[in-house]
Amino acid sequence: MTHDGRMNMDSTAFDSLPNLDYQGLIKEARRPRAGSEAPAVRIAFISDAATQHLIPAVRALLDRRGVRLEAYEGAFGAFELETQDPQSGLHRFQPDVVIALHSIQALTASFYERTIGAEQWTARALERITGVWDALHRHGRATVVQSTFAIPFERSFGNLDLKVGESIRWAANELNTRIAQSARSRDSVLLLDVEGIAGWLGARDFFDARAWDLWKIFCSLGALPHVAKNIVDIVLAARGRVVKCVVLDLDNTLWGGVIGDDGMEGIKIGAHGDGEAFYRLQLFMKELTRRGILLAVCSKNTESVAAQPFADHPEMVLRREHISAFVANWNDKAENIRSIREQLNIGYDAMVFVDDNPFERNLVRQLLPEVIVPELPEDPAQYVEYLSGLNLFETSSFSAEDRIRKELYEREAARRQEAAGFDSVEDFLRSLDMRISVGEFDEFHIPRISQLMQRSNQFNLTTRRLTPADCTALRENPNFLTLHAELSDRLGSHGLISVVTVEREGNVLWIRDWLMSCRVLGRGVEQFLMNAVIQHALDAGLDRVVGTYKATPKNAMVENFFAQFGFVKTAQADQELQWTIDPRDYTPITVLITRNSTEEARI
Amino acid sequence: MSMEDDVRTRMTHVFQDVFDESTIEIRDDMTAADVESWDSLTHVNLIVALEKSFGIRFTTGEAGSSLENVGQLRILIERKLAAKRK
Repeated sequence: MTHDGRMNMDSTAFDSLPNLDYQGLIKEARRPRAGSEAPAVRIAFISDAATQHLIPAVRALLDRRGVRLEAYEGAFGAFELETQDPQSGLHRFQPDVVIALHSIQALTASFYERTIGAEQWTARALERITGVWDALHRHGRATVVQSTFAIPFERSFGNLDLKVGESIRWAANELNTRIAQSARSRDSVLLLDVEGIAGWLGARDFFDARAWDLWKIFCSLGALPHVAKNIVDIVLAARGRVVKCVVLDLDNTLWGGVIGDDGMEGIKIGAHGDGEAFYRLQLFMKELTRRGILLAVCSKNTESVAAQPFADHPEMVLRREHISAFVANWNDKAENIRSIREQLNIGYDAMVFVDDNPFERNLVRQLLPEVIVPELPEDPAQYVEYLSGLNLFETSSFSAEDRIRKELYEREAARRQEAAGFDSVEDFLRSLDMRISVGEFDEFHIPRISQLMQRSNQFNLTTRRLTPADCTALRENPNFLTLHAELSDRLGSHGLISVVTVEREGNVLWIRDWLMSCRVLGRGVEQFLMNAVIQHALDAGLDRVVGTYKATPKNAMVENFFAQFGFVKTAQADQELQWTIDPRDYTPITVLITRNSTEEARI
Repeated sequence: MSMEDDVRTRMTHVFQDVFDESTIEIRDDMTAADVESWDSLTHVNLIVALEKSFGIRFTTGEAGSSLENVGQLRILIERKLAAKRK
């Protein structure tokens, strides 16, 4: 694929990486499989490099995942023109996402032409980049995806480059750090880690001077699909396509050998020799739990035998407390994954199944096609690098609740166990001492509110995927009342679990968004919030409340949500039901939840 | 099959693939004007597809120059293949 044929991605353990061949993608882009009814994402590309080769690759990769691309290509290098003028082509296009792709080649040329010191030059370069973000947010609501700079191997001081600071390698490194820092305080700015991609592929394979000189393409055509894949991963993660759980096999996946045959002394796990590969995989999995991904075990074993290393093996990294669902028996794995899904209450498409056995992988692929089932390299030493290379764990936010997600699920399991000991559901709910906080959208909660809007699929009436910027706009709209609710009980907090927005229009209160985490189904949260919404309508003297249900493949559970409250179906379109009630006819529902006393919301 | 025929056949396959037209037959006097979808975008794809198919690499000058016709491109490829065999 490159100048001297070194790039041998096709002949190593990476054989089974999803097909990322440039020519193949160009061909796929010509014949999209997703029809015109498929969901679309509007992406604007602005760059000081050519993007017309990148866009078809993005189109093809989105198409593979059932999403249509509507693309806008900004004028070459026109970052300011496209973003600062509210009438620009970009703003008229009204993108959902803007990819701001700053090439290292343009940066390097500008650096070498500098007339000021490197530090001052770097500060100005950063200002120019953040200025683009600010302009985009002044005139639109797009999520900005900012590239980092692939660090070139052009050293004017040799190994002293980073020490002296007057070098492009220093400046580019520094800019990457500052871009990341600046993005941290802006919820609507995400990063496209081009430097990470270049480092993974190898800078010599990533860069292609000829492609830049002739065509202003900022990387080799072989590397371009990897950049496109990362863009697609980011865009889809921001729209809620995220992995929430890794389901792990045990024998020869999480440790070497077979626990049932080799016993505790015989299995390979530990920070040395051929146990090291499994030790590293366990470390990586443990790291994933820190950022809110749940781990599950799915093993063909006798449960007590499979559980023993987690309890007693001195060199295991993962312990029983890291595993949110532990299933070891002799049933088939598809059936066991079904049971894990039920325990954790997540979608199949949010699960990754990691198993060294091709038979099990194929079985799960066939029976549960939505579950993500990566191949695995033959050599366990390559497991971590391989899984990382697939970029399965892309996400667009990291909230306080991600940090404690495992605990949230554990408490939930504890509640379920307790519930079994009560004679009636009501007794149990009463014993929980549930407390709810209801507030309007605010700066502090918007990141989590938006995250919940991206991720909730089942209990979601209209499935609008609002970005943080969208949420801010709603909050500032005087016709809207925007609510979020947090629930806690004697066993701990559930965190922010529900979002409701309503819009007043004449005498009508429209329910625009209503979603809830399935973790708190059956507690009375939705009844509590409906009481509040109706009361709001009464206080405002309105004579109708109208709710909408928009069908998606996943939200059938709330199809008749409004019926339980006495709403009557008043309109029915293709995928949409409309329900209406006169608030004066509504009978408030008794709930076993107390409202926290420090509330200041308008309801 | 002579080297010339062999190169011509493989070039034809690449052209058909890149321009997405299974009926294209290349001729020495063919130019970009003769192929509807041969523009600056697909030219890049053509260059890298030819390189991959023949296991050669064009210099920046070769890849960027406006070769007069397909015949010149074929001769250039043959020269590179011959140099490779030495």
